[in-house]
Amino acid sequence: MMGIAYAVLVLSSLSGYAVSAQTVTSTNDLAFGNIFPGVPKAIVKSSVGDAAEFTVTGTTGAEVTLDFTLPAYMYTTGANMPLFFSSSDCAVDSTNPQDQSNPSANNLNPNGTITYRIGSNGMSVWLGGRVVPGLVQKSGSYTATIRLTVAYTGF
Amino acid sequence: MCESGRILKLVWKPALVVLPVLLWAYPAAGQDVAVGSATATVVTTISVTASSPLAFGDVMQGVPASIANNNASAAIFEITGQAGSGADLYLQLPEYLALSDGSDRMTITFGSTDASVDTTGAADPAAMNAGKGWQNTNPYNLPAAAVIGAAGTDVYLGGKVIPSPSQKAGNYSGDIILTVAYNGS
Repeated sequence: MMGIAYAVLVLSSLSGYAVSAQTVTSTNDLAFGNIFPGVPKAIVKSSVGDAAEFTVTGTTGAEVTLDFTLPAYMYTTGANMPLFFSSSDCAVDSTNPQDQSNPSANNLNPNGTITYRIGSNGMSVWLGGRVVPGLVQKSGSYTATIRLTVAYTGF
Repeated sequence: MCESGRILKLVWKPALVVLPVLLWAYPAAGQDVAVGSATATVVTTISVTASSPLAFGDVMQGVPASIANNNASAAIFEITGQAGSGADLYLQLPEYLALSDGSDRMTITFGSTDASVDTTGAADPAAMNAGKGWQNTNPYNLPAAAVIGAAGTDVYLGGKVIPSPSQKAGNYSGDIILTVAYNGS
């Protein structure tokens, strides 16, 4: 009988840990706008509409890891342009409501794994960066891919 | 079967039920990936051309000669780039002109009103007026707010040469360098 009681408790406990799958969506690109040859330009993570923004959903309170795959260059046909991300270019907020100008976790390093918990309203992740065009940088539209992988840690 | 054997059977039966539930209800190893972009538009490269020299023509020994910045003989620099963008302009001006063989040189000076910046891109010093940009400005301190006009921007430059009474005859020249760069505004 002790064994039966134990198994039922485990079943109950596991039901309580059922988690919804996490999702991450890119909701805003990192938009530098016009760049002048020879004039570096930075976008800060708090710049609404310019900073990259990702929205994460999942189980409230669940811990997740955030791993960026960041480009070193932006590209156009026949040319590239260096793109840098500093150790404080990322911010995360899982409070409700989320505030890009005053996030709950600020100045995070996007070049490494970031660990944070999903809030009741999910989580927003913001990313800034800096481009350094050359003096004779070829004119045109440049793009690069920013990939964010989100995974539960199990805690 | 002994008593302990019955207990084991009771334990294992529920365990078989629990195990699939455990696998189903704990999808913590899953992950999701979002792909965003960084975007930028690099504007047209800025360029500058010296299209007309500051030409004093014939000068007489001992007689200074001046060219106004709205004279047809004023120097003309033509700047092209992204219309409406701010640009820093910096003139490097000579202190004298020299014969090509270096055997003599002649003083040249530039006053604080010897330059004009024409944002219409007309490349016509004689047609310059205050409504077209900055007229009669200091060539050693060109306007910080200079912008590139839709048809370009021009810099006109006058100056003054002071030949000595014993100035050696010949063709004198000196370099006038205009450096331009976007300032990001």
